[in-house]
Amino acid sequence: MAAGMRRSAIEYHRPERLADVFELRGAPDTWLVAGGTDLMVRVREGAVRPRAIVSLRRIPELGGIEVADGARIGALTRVSQIVRDGRLGERWTALALAARSLGSAQIRNMATVGGNLCNASPCADLAPPLLAADARATVVSPRGSREMDLADLFEGPRVTALAPDEVLQDIRLGAPPAGSRSIFLKKGRVAMDIALASISVQLLVDSGCLRSVRVAAGSLAPTPVRLRRVEAALEGKPPDEDVLSLARAAACEEVRPISDVRASADYRRHLAGAFVERAVRSLAGGNGR
Amino acid sequence: MKVECAFVVNGEPVCVDVAPAARLVDVLRGPLGLTGTKEGCGNGECGACTVLVDGEPVNACLFPVLEVEGREVTTIEGIGGPGGALSPVQEAFVRHGGIQCGFCTPGMIVTATSLLRSNPDPSDDEIRDGLRGNLCRCTGYVQIVDSVREAAKAMREEGADE
Amino acid sequence: MSELRHVGRESVRPDAADKATGRAHYIHDLVRPGMLHGKVKFSEHAHARIVHIDTSRAERLPGVRAVITAYDTPEVRIGFLRDNFALKRDKVRQYRDEVAAVAAIDPEIAAEAVELIRVEYEPLGAVFDPVEAMAEGAPLVHEVDARGRPVESNVLQLTVGHESGDLAAAERASKHIAEGEFSTPLIQQSCMGTAGCIAEMDVRGNLTIWAKTQIPFLAQRDFNRALEDMGLPGRNARVIVPTLGGGFGTGLDTHAYEFIAILLAHRTGRPVKMLYTREEEFANLSPRQSSRTRIVQGCDADGRLTFRRMEVLQDNGAYTSWGATFPTVMLLPATSLYRVGAVKFDARIVYTNNTYCQAMRGYGNPEVTWPIECTLDELAEQAGIDPFELRMRNRNEPGEVTPMGARVTTCGLGECLEGAAEKLDWKEKRGKQRNARRGVGMASLIHVGGSGRIYRSDGGGVILKLDDYGNVNVSYGGVEMGQGLHSALTLTVADALGVLPERVHINPTDTATCPWDVGTHASRGAFIACNAAIRAANEARRRLFEMAAEVYAQEVARNAESHRRKNPGWTQPDVFLPALCRPEAFDLRDSWLFPKSRPDEPWLRIELGRLLRALHFRGEKGQVIVEEAFYEPPSELPDWDRGMGNMSACYTYGVQGVEVEVDEDTGEVRILRAVSAHDVGRVLSPQALAGQIYGGFAQGVGYAMYEEVRSVEGRIANPSFTDYKIPTAAEMGFPVDVVIVETDDPAGPFGAKGIGEPGLVPTAPAIANAIYDAIGVRIHDLPITPEKIVAALAARRRETPPSR
Repeated sequence: MAAGMRRSAIEYHRPERLADVFELRGAPDTWLVAGGTDLMVRVREGAVRPRAIVSLRRIPELGGIEVADGARIGALTRVSQIVRDGRLGERWTALALAARSLGSAQIRNMATVGGNLCNASPCADLAPPLLAADARATVVSPRGSREMDLADLFEGPRVTALAPDEVLQDIRLGAPPAGSRSIFLKKGRVAMDIALASISVQLLVDSGCLRSVRVAAGSLAPTPVRLRRVEAALEGKPPDEDVLSLARAAACEEVRPISDVRASADYRRHLAGAFVERAVRSLAGGNGR
Repeated sequence: MKVECAFVVNGEPVCVDVAPAARLVDVLRGPLGLTGTKEGCGNGECGACTVLVDGEPVNACLFPVLEVEGREVTTIEGIGGPGGALSPVQEAFVRHGGIQCGFCTPGMIVTATSLLRSNPDPSDDEIRDGLRGNLCRCTGYVQIVDSVREAAKAMREEGADE
Repeated sequence: MSELRHVGRESVRPDAADKATGRAHYIHDLVRPGMLHGKVKFSEHAHARIVHIDTSRAERLPGVRAVITAYDTPEVRIGFLRDNFALKRDKVRQYRDEVAAVAAIDPEIAAEAVELIRVEYEPLGAVFDPVEAMAEGAPLVHEVDARGRPVESNVLQLTVGHESGDLAAAERASKHIAEGEFSTPLIQQSCMGTAGCIAEMDVRGNLTIWAKTQIPFLAQRDFNRALEDMGLPGRNARVIVPTLGGGFGTGLDTHAYEFIAILLAHRTGRPVKMLYTREEEFANLSPRQSSRTRIVQGCDADGRLTFRRMEVLQDNGAYTSWGATFPTVMLLPATSLYRVGAVKFDARIVYTNNTYCQAMRGYGNPEVTWPIECTLDELAEQAGIDPFELRMRNRNEPGEVTPMGARVTTCGLGECLEGAAEKLDWKEKRGKQRNARRGVGMASLIHVGGSGRIYRSDGGGVILKLDDYGNVNVSYGGVEMGQGLHSALTLTVADALGVLPERVHINPTDTATCPWDVGTHASRGAFIACNAAIRAANEARRRLFEMAAEVYAQEVARNAESHRRKNPGWTQPDVFLPALCRPEAFDLRDSWLFPKSRPDEPWLRIELGRLLRALHFRGEKGQVIVEEAFYEPPSELPDWDRGMGNMSACYTYGVQGVEVEVDEDTGEVRILRAVSAHDVGRVLSPQALAGQIYGGFAQGVGYAMYEEVRSVEGRIANPSFTDYKIPTAAEMGFPVDVVIVETDDPAGPFGAKGIGEPGLVPTAPAIANAIYDAIGVRIHDLPITPEKIVAALAARRRETPPSR
């Protein structure tokens, strides 16, 4: 354990080409880093003991935001860029709200979309709004690139579906359904906090009924998840008290939260229901977008 | 084992030998002797280590030093004017009681400076939200918010005079 | 004394500019030549026998200069009960027990070396609940006391009790009775600057230690004793206090890490720095004790308090700090907050295998004010009396002697209650906003305002040294830790002596140069320092005027000469100078000496620096002015078994109130506004005073709503700001009105009382009372989290099914 555990002995690579990333990451105990807000803490605490760190910050293919009808958000996009990008905020309100809720100004200047998602933390703030927007992920490897549903990226706490040689390149969002609106609700203990629970909802109201309903949750299951049963309870229904109460109950049933030092599973479950009800009320009632 | 890292600190080019995975805060406080930047938690939670990298506030405790190569870093020592002159934000913190034990102060002032650059006329709620990554245990933040509001006012008036 | 020109006026902190520019130097920033870095190996069990410690791999690591354990160093006992040890031998009693330590050439090597130390343990049965710890057959945390005598129980022999009045009769006479059990959690003081020290020994065995302490002189005593334990009798420890990144009670004891640094410095012959990381601070620095209190209090039909019974149980953890004496301060609110004729108070403190605890701001007071003020609202509800009115009816008054013998000199509690009620629009709001889930609540406090005597001397001294340039260098043995002591002291010296505040310079606190002081606790810093400074200044003025009489005529002649040169037409007014050359004829103000009878004539004024030079440089008659005064406050060391004694020279009062809005669905409590009303005696520095009140209030909000160190079978489960949440600026996003009541206490410097701690004392019950007003639910266990509110509302719904 002695050799290689010292911080001063860790190698730090800054490749400028994807090909070099692929080559470097093949070495044992090598970690990729984008913003560093998570990895640097875990290295300091000794929770991970890498032999080498490969920084992705100089890889051009991983950067950039393009917005047309849909959007392409490079994995290296910093959270603060999302906050500042009016084009994103206009179409994907929930994403902008989640970005704004994440950490502090300092953290948002470092943390990246790719890092937030690839940590595969159940409480990743950006995941619920992206899941509710049917986001797709582009993944690259020496073998080429492939697309997947973002939902399929998350396999478990801190476990992604990425193969050892794969890197998340970007997130792709289709145009939101015409007339749809979205919202993100999060409960932390204080303003600067990891979510105890978060809910993102995207929907539209057509002839008094809820359509294209997407509901996703953070910190309420081993990974960020879509709440399909909640969606089913709402889809095509009018947002009346009975429907809201059924959706609320469905949310409490569908989530699988844990108890930890931050909150009990019971409270998280309760919040899931409360937030689903509140989010739908708000979107159906005219607030949010 | 060490590698060279060249960047600009407070307007001065520097070149230091660093361990490759060293954190910016350690290089600033160690070889560069800029101890005004404090480390309060090492986790990016308290903000005492806040510095500007290319004008944007970051937590120096989470920032790999090699990522500042070729970039500009501003620490609390570079916030004021030449010869020890206080910046308007520093002056306001001094005058309006935004300082008690002072350990959070450098990071708080760096964050506030950046906040006022992007929003010269913030509401009190915007100030509080902008400072949510800077913990203070002494002041209850009231006089800190006063200080930032007054600094903004002074800077706007100064700007209007020019 | 001159008229007040600076006290009470706006001024800036003397250290503000250095702190704003990053030039203030904390322990983290200090380096000594040849300095090594120490690191502690902590226990991996809550309670276990140490079978074997293998340090060989650590010793072989290049860069390591020393590895020490209790087995190869002298036994150094610490704590006022001497129940703790710098390094642990035979067994560990808590997770944070220090079993070994390393000194290395850099912190990284030290950390690596610590990981190479292998300790073999034999786990023992442990006890984590103070009630279980009192049960027969519970595992004993300590088998013997400090003198080696066998111990039978985990209950400490530190009982504080009080009984006064005819309790049985008072209870029978009560129309209403409120009772309940209330608890407070472990709280981390959360200084932004973590703990650390540098220990350095000279060849003769004398120690210099830069320590993050609030008690330099008691620390010196402890360190001197350690030197004796180390076979260095008669050597001296010099304690120097660098700029502190907060104190809040963490500096009221000496700590094992300091003694370990001393042992390592002694072993290596090099300066050794110990610095806690944030995680180490959370896991290994003592938090504020948790407490459980059972309270019963009653009132008559008119709401007049009849009796109060309180039983407090505190979890000491595995060792004993001064924090174990919280009950000495708890006595004050228990017996003296409001007028109550019959009181019974008992406090017990119990060893467990939890982390051992220490002091924090308020020192026991918030723990008991919490149940007192909550049940007071319950009494008001039962009696059908407005809670504000009930408090007014029972308020303390000047001249009263409380059941514990506290002599109330001045008291502004009534004014504070009225001020708080007014700012909250109490009459319009109380009980009238339940539909909006809004409510208002208030709670009062009493605290020591003239220091709190828990040691045989409660005094402190000040030295004023005037130099040839008109500077006044002030040495005081107490500690500026951010609270604004130096602001108050600067203004006091300026006015008491008659100099400009910018000519007053406060020296770093150093046991080698400052007079003795018991420590900066009990809100006593400004009270003691300023009282001592006023005495020293009076003496300095007396001597200065006496000597000035000898040189004044000559200096005025020089003035006249120069005035004439500059103003050719000027003729010297006809003044009979000998009449002015008398000590009693002089005044000194803003660093100018002048005759009281003719204050406005420039040619009669002498600048202080010039005067001092004139007194100094005059052959054999030459004198310099250095004055010292020691102030011991007029108070009594209470008899703790009986809980009787006037422990403070005066008492301070206050009231906090809040308006809250509760989201019944998520349990979220939002504070809409707050008021903090305080009887401060007299304002010394308005900015520093406001800072203490706002800062205390925010800590009170943290205590009430967010903060709790979670201990799971003795191990701290949330050792970081990621999971120990203190309020950010965003949580404090509501207006806080400060109401200042000046009662001008005869014992106070210019009438001022101590005000360092009161700001967090009644915050939690004020918030709890407001929540009750809003939604009719009362939480008994701090912190009041949204989760607890949701659970309480659900429980209520189960008990009373909705009628709809």
